[in-house]
Amino acid sequence: MEAVAALERDAELMLRVREGDETSFALLLERHRAPVVHFLYRMVQNQAVSEELAQEVFLRVYRSRATYEPTAKFTTWLFRIATHLALNWIRDGKKEKSQESLNEELLDGAERQVPDRQPTVEQELLYAVKLNEVRRAIETLPEKQRAAVMMHKYEELDYAQIAKALRCSESAVKSLLFRAYETLRSRLAHMA
Amino acid sequence: MRCMKQSQDGARILIEYCAGALDPMHAAEVERHLESCTDCRALVERQTELWEALDCWKAPQVSADFDARLYARIAREQAAPSWKKWARRIFEPAVPAPFWKPLASLAAAGAVLAIGLMIQTTPHPARTPQVHADQVDIEQVAKALDDLDILAPANSM
Repeated sequence: MEAVAALERDAELMLRVREGDETSFALLLERHRAPVVHFLYRMVQNQAVSEELAQEVFLRVYRSRATYEPTAKFTTWLFRIATHLALNWIRDGKKEKSQESLNEELLDGAERQVPDRQPTVEQELLYAVKLNEVRRAIETLPEKQRAAVMMHKYEELDYAQIAKALRCSESAVKSLLFRAYETLRSRLAHMA
Repeated sequence: MRCMKQSQDGARILIEYCAGALDPMHAAEVERHLESCTDCRALVERQTELWEALDCWKAPQVSADFDARLYARIAREQAAPSWKKWARRIFEPAVPAPFWKPLASLAAAGAVLAIGLMIQTTPHPARTPQVHADQVDIEQVAKALDDLDILAPANSM
């Protein structure tokens, strides 16, 4: 029920944006900024690029306001744009040119994500190693499997939404996820 | 109950169970199965471990100036000449339509048209001799009837 209300709220906001209400666009941005940036970050594994792509997503949303029709869930549409941009970026091979040093970012990320109690240097290093392995295991997945896992695991989108974002059938999404989790289980088995 | 892990559908249900995406009734069913199936229990344990490992990857916070940068881009775009705005709408749509869909429709229409034309223009070599044979047969029958007519008065006499 809450999800349906949220869906109606997003569509309603977007329809108001279509009529020229800038405040509604700010509200949509507030609601979806973090999920879109986080999804893109996990797809491209680079913060600067993920924010740049997320800006392009919202710019395209704003640009399409005049022709917007609430035929699908707003979130699905948003993730479809984000997935398209992320996959294009990966396919264009831009990754090699601009990827930050993984280790530098990992240590930096580990510092940002420290839990409340003070971790020891050893704990921090262990965390960094674990995170590195998770990132590398995800990075080696085929693009579509990676996108499906990101949307399923981290953004909690259902099969129908993922299918629309990836332009495939629900059964194809189930197969993508099944194969991706199977691969990840075997690659990260030693971490248990 | 048959081992769920053995079928892809069953394994998918176990994955959904680990993600907490099953409704209570189905979750209870899976739990009952897990009590008696060691293979499925092992898969659930491994998937839960994977789930926890994936949880450790937190995305960083969005930069504080994200909105300001976005609004600056929007303002720049608004100030651009109108031809540029139209070009962007055409060449950078929110979600580009897959190019192969109209091509596939066109190809299908072309194929139907080509088959139609082939049927229309192809000569039917098998039919001509057949028509000829039919004509010969008719002529032979007509000639035979004429012969009978000639013979008939002679018989009657």
